[in-house]
Amino acid sequence: MHSFGQRANAIATFSLTILAVICSLASFTDNFNAPSPKAEVKVSNFNWLQKQRNGNDEASLTLNISADLQSLFTWNTKQVFVFLAAEYETPKNALNQISLWDKIISSKDLAKFSIRISNKYRFIDQPQGSNLRGRDYNLTLHWHVMPKTGKMFADKMSMTGFRLPEVYR
Amino acid sequence: MDWQGQKLAEKLMQIFLVAFAVVAFVVGYALGSFQAMLLIYAGGVLLTALVTVPNWPAFNRHQLSWLDQSEVDRHPRPQAAASQSSKKKTTKQK
Repeated sequence: MHSFGQRANAIATFSLTILAVICSLASFTDNFNAPSPKAEVKVSNFNWLQKQRNGNDEASLTLNISADLQSLFTWNTKQVFVFLAAEYETPKNALNQISLWDKIISSKDLAKFSIRISNKYRFIDQPQGSNLRGRDYNLTLHWHVMPKTGKMFADKMSMTGFRLPEVYR
Repeated sequence: MDWQGQKLAEKLMQIFLVAFAVVAFVVGYALGSFQAMLLIYAGGVLLTALVTVPNWPAFNRHQLSWLDQSEVDRHPRPQAAASQSSKKKTTKQK
């Protein structure tokens, strides 16, 4: 501690150590938050189901997505990434997921929303060919909570009981 | 900076940083603002650096007063002379 440089070095290292400690503490406080997110997704209109020229099936939906994810936000939350996936089973794969819509929620005020939108990303059964007719599927809302410091956290909510039509239309 | 000053500077640095960290964390948590925590802590680090890094006069109140060279010449160290002669004797004996 006898020179300017040594004192500057000491304060830099000690202050950064403490910064790490308070950031860990901030991350730790997230454990006290018990989130109770609510979400509801409805297919307000089934637009069409078509066979593409290359043999893959493609569907188009209009979705009603309403969610209240405000309880996911704490003082240590940077943003929440939320996406809606259609999930279904085929003989080949136990779980197929197709992302239909997503959104980055950057603040608590924007975490409560209700929108009506046709699928943002195309609902195509890409690798397996004509597999979508008469297929039962779930719409699952996934969310990834991105904290300012600490571990990412992900959860989901599944809405079951959707079925694609038996015929192209 | 003298010895006492160095001790004081180090102590002040540790106390200030820990105190600012506690205040920053509590205020940030209370306001629910991570940014407030970081700003308060950054301010605290800056202030602590200003207080403890420069060589302020307050850290130089306990200067060691060395004897003047003339004083040393007038009173040579007796032990030093004795040990020197004994060393010489031992070498001669061998």
